[in-house]
Amino acid sequence: MTQSKLPLSSEHIAIIVIAFLGIVVAPYLNTLPPTSWLYISDFTLNLWGKYLTLAILAISVDLLWGYTGLLSLGQSLFFILGGYAFGMYLMLQIGVLGQSKSELPDFMVFLGYTQLPWFWRASHSFWFSVLAALWVPALVALVFGYLAFRSRIKGVYFSILTQALTYAACLMFFRNDTAMGGNNGFTDFKLILGYDIRAPETQRALYIITATTLLLIYLGCRWLTSTKFGKVQQAIRDSENRVLFSGYSTVSYKLFIFVLSSMIAGIGGMLYVPQVGIINPSDMAPDKSLEAVVWVAVGGRGTLVGPIVGAVSVNALRSYSTTAFPEYWLFLQGLVFILVVLFLPKGLVGLWTSIVEYISKQEGGLRGVWASVMESLMKRKGATK
Amino acid sequence: MKLLYHNITRLLLLFLLAGTLGLHAQTPSGGNTRQLITEAILSSGDEQKKKISELINADDVALTSTILTKWRKSEVYIATDAGDKKVPYTLEEDKPIRIDNGQPLTLPQGSAVETDGALRKAIASTLNLLGIADPDPKVRQGAVAKLGGQQKAEYVPLFKARLEKETNAQVKYTLKEAIAITELADASPEIQTEALKTLGSLYSKRSGDLLKKFAGDPSVPERQAAAKSSLVKLENYLSFCETIETMFRGVNYGSVLLISALGLAITFGLMGVINMAHGELIVVGAYSVYVMEGWFTRAFGDAGLQWYFIAAIPFAFVNAALVGLLLERSVIRFLYNRPLESLLATWGVSLVLQQSFRYIFGPNNVPINSPSWLIGNFTILDISFAYNRIFVVCFAALIILLTWLLLTKTPLGLLIRAVMQNREMASCVGVRTAQVNMLTFAFGSGLAGLAGAFLAQLGNVGPNLGQAYIIDCFMTVVVGGVGNIIGTVCSAISIGVATQTLEQVLQNSVLGKITVLITIILFLQIRPGGLFPTKGRGLED
Amino acid sequence: MKHLVQAGEKPTHHDFILAAEGVNKVFDGFKAITNLNFYMDEGELRTVIGPNGAGKTTFMDLITGRTKPTSGKITFAGNIELNPLSADQIYRLGIGRKFQNPTVYIHHTVYDNLLLSLKGSRSVFSTLFGKVTSTDKDRIYSILETIGLTECVHMLAGTLAHGKKQWLEIGMLLAQDARLLLVDEPAAGLSDEETAKTGELLLSLAGKHSLIVIEHDMVFVRQIAKKVTVLHQGSILCEGTVDEVQNNERVREVYLGRKAAH
Repeated sequence: MTQSKLPLSSEHIAIIVIAFLGIVVAPYLNTLPPTSWLYISDFTLNLWGKYLTLAILAISVDLLWGYTGLLSLGQSLFFILGGYAFGMYLMLQIGVLGQSKSELPDFMVFLGYTQLPWFWRASHSFWFSVLAALWVPALVALVFGYLAFRSRIKGVYFSILTQALTYAACLMFFRNDTAMGGNNGFTDFKLILGYDIRAPETQRALYIITATTLLLIYLGCRWLTSTKFGKVQQAIRDSENRVLFSGYSTVSYKLFIFVLSSMIAGIGGMLYVPQVGIINPSDMAPDKSLEAVVWVAVGGRGTLVGPIVGAVSVNALRSYSTTAFPEYWLFLQGLVFILVVLFLPKGLVGLWTSIVEYISKQEGGLRGVWASVMESLMKRKGATK
Repeated sequence: MKLLYHNITRLLLLFLLAGTLGLHAQTPSGGNTRQLITEAILSSGDEQKKKISELINADDVALTSTILTKWRKSEVYIATDAGDKKVPYTLEEDKPIRIDNGQPLTLPQGSAVETDGALRKAIASTLNLLGIADPDPKVRQGAVAKLGGQQKAEYVPLFKARLEKETNAQVKYTLKEAIAITELADASPEIQTEALKTLGSLYSKRSGDLLKKFAGDPSVPERQAAAKSSLVKLENYLSFCETIETMFRGVNYGSVLLISALGLAITFGLMGVINMAHGELIVVGAYSVYVMEGWFTRAFGDAGLQWYFIAAIPFAFVNAALVGLLLERSVIRFLYNRPLESLLATWGVSLVLQQSFRYIFGPNNVPINSPSWLIGNFTILDISFAYNRIFVVCFAALIILLTWLLLTKTPLGLLIRAVMQNREMASCVGVRTAQVNMLTFAFGSGLAGLAGAFLAQLGNVGPNLGQAYIIDCFMTVVVGGVGNIIGTVCSAISIGVATQTLEQVLQNSVLGKITVLITIILFLQIRPGGLFPTKGRGLED
Repeated sequence: MKHLVQAGEKPTHHDFILAAEGVNKVFDGFKAITNLNFYMDEGELRTVIGPNGAGKTTFMDLITGRTKPTSGKITFAGNIELNPLSADQIYRLGIGRKFQNPTVYIHHTVYDNLLLSLKGSRSVFSTLFGKVTSTDKDRIYSILETIGLTECVHMLAGTLAHGKKQWLEIGMLLAQDARLLLVDEPAAGLSDEETAKTGELLLSLAGKHSLIVIEHDMVFVRQIAKKVTVLHQGSILCEGTVDEVQNNERVREVYLGRKAAH
């Protein structure tokens, strides 16, 4: 197929500019001397790194909810599974630097382990752990998804069951005898690939990796949703029976997207752990999955920019308000959620598009809107006089 | 109020006391009792111990045990009269009363009688023996069990004598058991064997360790066999009891689930979405009980504690229903055709409510005192049934009955069912669906409030209480099949029993819960629509 | 009345495109289909009529695998048994269905609706990496012409008028190139003119494809029907031409009797 060479659209330019700002400029500003007015502190950069991992999680939610109509309340489970898989590597990297000066992770020493459990052994390897952060969530999603989709569980039922699955896993990880650190989880990491994990350089590198990964995932999902597969996926969202009666095995399609999004969530979790420095089972409490859904709803579901915008803005708001007025954060979060669902079903992105559409419909574009606003203001002024 | 009540009772007591004192003055009641006790107190050494043990023959059992109890606590004093005669006395209401005649002491007060370990032991054993004849069957039973455990052959005639007089079945049982246990210490293997057999037929839980000891002793084969067979009998019996107890706990947990999930099932059946704030409606009910308790105890003192719960039940229902009504009017009614989104919006509501609870009642659990008629338990065959749990089970049954009547026998129920089955059609034939939605949602929420009221009697109440139950509630509704009350009943009871049984079997509550969750997921493989699926003939179901 | 075939009587030749033998379907004790025997030749256009609740839609559900028969078997193209297959497998055999309410992908364009229905591989891999060939495009545009929707090619299907949605759905069946088309009430909610056009479209398809059309509108049935099957209470009451069926005593009883009762 021949494709006519199009000049870059404004959308493409926006993506390139934002990616450049995020991946190159921000880390560069971090290397400036702190006295510079453009300086971005280590803390801020690290915070943004965390937001971007959460944005990856939000994309995985949106791929299911916004594009396939499957509201999964288990995405935080996959996120955390990825986190734990990579966290096991980080725990073993602590080695004798830990409090107990033992080769075993501290919590195992406290629990009286004398040697590593079998499923921990391979986590000494960095690449094995990276892969585990992908295939462990994928495997769970595959088994659960197969069972759920095969028996045609959908809608609210699917949401409830994924929530129950997450809840069960959460209970399991809280137990000490799972050998996953119980309710303290993993923390106190020291090294990653031999580098000091807390050093600003390492954190900066992690930030760049996160931002790049997010960009790749975004582009990948853009491609995916534009293929015929993406069309089938959205058709399933709108009328699953019709897709079935068009000869598509909706089970395989849903399973594919479910597994894929679990892997994306796993990647997010893998990048989250070294930057936040702690992971514990409370991160996979059923509420956390719902929070990720909130981000998508706030940003705008069924778009790929929406989840990123939503995850970053809600988490930035949370960071701000939990320090400014901690008691009211839950009120605020709940209210934002209710209001968004009631009045902004398409989220911030939808709001933006309607504003842009409104302006472009006005004569003379933005300038025309400005003129008409000024005009009406003048009129009112005249009226009061 | 409280003070007045106290004063009245105190006056009454004084009056009664005065009456009895007056009686004593004319005809010293209790025959030889006072004489015997005085002698015992004033003697010493082995002579004293003998006298103490003979006190079991005293005429007035109650008086004897009162004074002996005081003696044991070194609350018997000795005054000396002019003739250097020692006069023992005790203090009643801070007034010295002579033991020998029950009259107030007119002499200067003396010092307490000294007691040593041996003496206290002697007093205690007499007190126990006296307990056998105590008017209160509970005390009798306790005394018999204690004496039986000492395996002293000299008690057997006492037990046998009592057994003939005894009318209370439980005390009779304990007496037989005590006799058999005491006989186990007998020198003759034949008697021991008989006793072992008796214990087996009595299913005596208390003798489990003794049976095990004899079952492991091969010196007398016959005796060992008897012990073994009795032990097997006992163990079967105990595991039977345990099963029943687990079942009961399961049914109880199922009832709590049922009340909680019933409201959810109704609102879900009506509007097609699970209300994530349902857990918080439960908490509203629970806090209503707390508030009502506060009001009642402030208004009526201790008596209020007895009756507040009766008022708290409708209060919890109404409060939760009102919150539900508000929720329906402000949020849910805009989302009837967007089930997934209403799930999310109600979650937002649940966050706001949780934070409000923390704001109003504080972040910690609040204590709730149960009325005394809900505290305690009764026992059938070594299975104890707690009153509050029985109350919950009965009330769940009542609520089911009322809900069923409401849905099937009232005009409102007809409307609710009509809207549940086909909203468009119902509104076409003139049903005001908006009102029906509102009422049904309020009703479902009220049921959640009732569930909260009962949870408040079973455990702590805190802002996160709802979260602990909500997932189980979801499961119950999903397994039962949407909008089906019989299904909800069956699934609540099965999930309740399964959870308790698995926790019992696996000895681990978390593993039990996980197993139940996984079982439910697998169950839905076979029956995706739940136990009683609703069959639609529509194209997009 | 000589050609009238009695219910349950098996014709003598054997190259049926669809044959249902002794099919029963019970929903919670309600007998939706009772001992149904139905035979249809390749290339035939068969119209199925019957009062509400006669089991017409359930019969289609059984053919397309939406529900499974309680007993009996349905075979396609002579020897393929449909009972054990899932809905998407049955579709891939070449049985397409238009639902009673037009079901199209409302958030997709008309073009994409047809693209998704186009005959070809249905695997995840092929939808991810497959390319749309120029033959595919030609095919889509020729179908658009057939169903008269060339103008609307880039419109979202959800914004189409009811009648156009009906045609789009028929177009989607054409794109699939199904051997057997099941068309449930194609004329419902259409204007007279649209109904007539729909009838012509269906007639033009007969021969190349086999069609089963469920319809209530007797004018429409008259327009398209060659052979009519009357369903009543889950089994076949009679089969024959429109006239034969309309003159049949029992058919009149079923329809008129019910009317009289109302």
